[in-house]
Amino acid sequence: MEFVGSASTQSCITQKRGRRVYGDDRDFKSKNLTAERRRREKLSNRLLTLRSLVPIITNMNKATIVEDAITYIEKLQMTVKVLSDQLLEMESSSEESERPRNDEINAAEEMKKHGIEEKVEVTNVDGCKLWIRIISKKKRSRITKFLEAMASHGFELSDTNVTTFKGATLISSCLNGVYSYKIEAEQVKELLQEIIKSI
Amino acid sequence: MYEETGCFDPNSMAEGGDDGISQSVKHHKEDDAAVSAIELELQKHLAFNVEDTHTQSISINSNTHSIHDPANQNHQILPPYEHSHSNWDSGVVSADHMGGFDQNENDQSQQSFINTDISSSFAQSQTPPLLNLLQFPRCTTSSMLPPNSSISFTNPDHHFPVPPPTSTDVLYDPLFHLNLPPQPQPPLFRELFQSIPHGYSFPASASRAAANSLFGEIGDERDATGAFYEDGDVGVHLDNRVLEFSRDLGCIGRRRETAGKPTKHFATERQRREQLNGKFKALKDLVPNPTKNDRASVVGDAIEYIKELLRTVNELKLLVEKKRCVRERRKRHRTEDDDEGMKPLVDPADQSYNSSLRSSWLQRKSKDTEVDVRIIDDEVTIKLVQRKKIDCLLFVSRVLDELQLDLHHVAGGHIGDYYSFLFNTKIYEGSSVYAGSIANKLIEVMDKQYAAVPPTSCAY
Repeated sequence: MEFVGSASTQSCITQKRGRRVYGDDRDFKSKNLTAERRRREKLSNRLLTLRSLVPIITNMNKATIVEDAITYIEKLQMTVKVLSDQLLEMESSSEESERPRNDEINAAEEMKKHGIEEKVEVTNVDGCKLWIRIISKKKRSRITKFLEAMASHGFELSDTNVTTFKGATLISSCLNGVYSYKIEAEQVKELLQEIIKSI
Repeated sequence: MYEETGCFDPNSMAEGGDDGISQSVKHHKEDDAAVSAIELELQKHLAFNVEDTHTQSISINSNTHSIHDPANQNHQILPPYEHSHSNWDSGVVSADHMGGFDQNENDQSQQSFINTDISSSFAQSQTPPLLNLLQFPRCTTSSMLPPNSSISFTNPDHHFPVPPPTSTDVLYDPLFHLNLPPQPQPPLFRELFQSIPHGYSFPASASRAAANSLFGEIGDERDATGAFYEDGDVGVHLDNRVLEFSRDLGCIGRRRETAGKPTKHFATERQRREQLNGKFKALKDLVPNPTKNDRASVVGDAIEYIKELLRTVNELKLLVEKKRCVRERRKRHRTEDDDEGMKPLVDPADQSYNSSLRSSWLQRKSKDTEVDVRIIDDEVTIKLVQRKKIDCLLFVSRVLDELQLDLHHVAGGHIGDYYSFLFNTKIYEGSSVYAGSIANKLIEVMDKQYAAVPPTSCAY
């Protein structure tokens, strides 16, 4: 093994260090020696770890460790595939349609309970930059629809943050108009309110 | 092969005698566990087509029982010796075909018998590579060359026409590669190198190293095998070129034991290295996010990947269990609604299944996107780092909806060249999405979008 190791390290390091200079052989060797040794130790430690992970091991040399690891990984991948297929087919045969409604109803009730109101705020911070803040009822995939609506109106959202609390969603973002004309805050506010109502 | 019967088998045959077959098998078994392992590797990585040749080789190894067993097309790689054992059990009938084999301690007659069989087998099919593989590490033709032998490979004139290159490749390749950048060789190698006449004129390019020299060796082995059997002076219609080995190898065979390990290494050493490199490469190809290309990091990546796979498997098992319980429970509910709602007994069992916390974590990287998905129970945290190009929020949000994840919290923005986002989501009840699917879907969508967007970037 040792010989193999050194031979392979020779071939590996030729690209880094080129041919050995035979003139100052000793210095060169000693400079390399520790580095090489460390490198080899690193590799062998990792191989040991690899071996410790793999349950089925045949022989205890470098080649078979790697080979066993390959077999084991393939086996695991196969298991994952089988299980996920199983899951998929179980999923397709089951029915789960009543849940989302429950969530929505709960959300509306909670909001009322905590006194959170739906609100839209728009502040003009620059020529065509607006800060917006929207509080709305949490509904399934509402955020997606909101983002889509924004995109379709030509607004670009940057620095968007979303939080939810007790059935309410807070969206705060910076709106940039794609078109360079100045956007009125009021207009945008109305637009947003319409959008929220519609989704 | 020839050294099996020629070098070793005479001894073992002489010892055991009665059942030469079992002797050689035992012999095989003792020495060749490693060989079979190597053979396995070679098989796998060089993808030999070993249909009938496998049969042949095994039969030859097992003293030709299975040659007569045409049904033996089992080219599984599993230990050939077990295979051959089964052959023997079934092929006992053909024992009488062997003539006076059982009683014979005489290797000569055995050889002659094997000669006839092998000749027939060779006549039928092509090279049995497996055969030679089995012999490979122990004794190759090159290893048969003791440092001081004078083997004349370059005067085929009084024997036979010039052999095609493949026949003597093996002899040249390992030697040839000694001409390459100086590597520390045991002195024996150098001796060997020097002792062999430089008059080798056969083309032996160093590029035909591992894979080809293996073939070369195989060709050699076969020929040498046949040649050796020629010793028995049985008329065999083999490649004539082989005969030139026979005499030399005859003496080499006996001297093999004196040659020692280093000589046989120098042919196999290179092959072993290359095989090892091939394996590392295979490992690297299996891992989804290969980082660096050096051996240590390949192994490191493999370690991480194995851990990740184990996590995924656990997660999936848990999910499947949950689903099954839910299903059963629902079935019971339905059937028991008629029974005036008796509490199903499976509930406590369900609790125990579901009480184990589901947790998993994995990372996936692609060219422009990095995804980190962590799942604890029903909360999924996704970290996404993406090179700025498209409005990723929208797409991610869409994907999350598809995956039935309820977005609770999004934070992030763009930092320098990248978008970085953190998504906190909750899995909707009943959805059985798992970490791997989330990550893969996200990466897929991101990459698709990248591909769809023209190179000119957006106006941020």
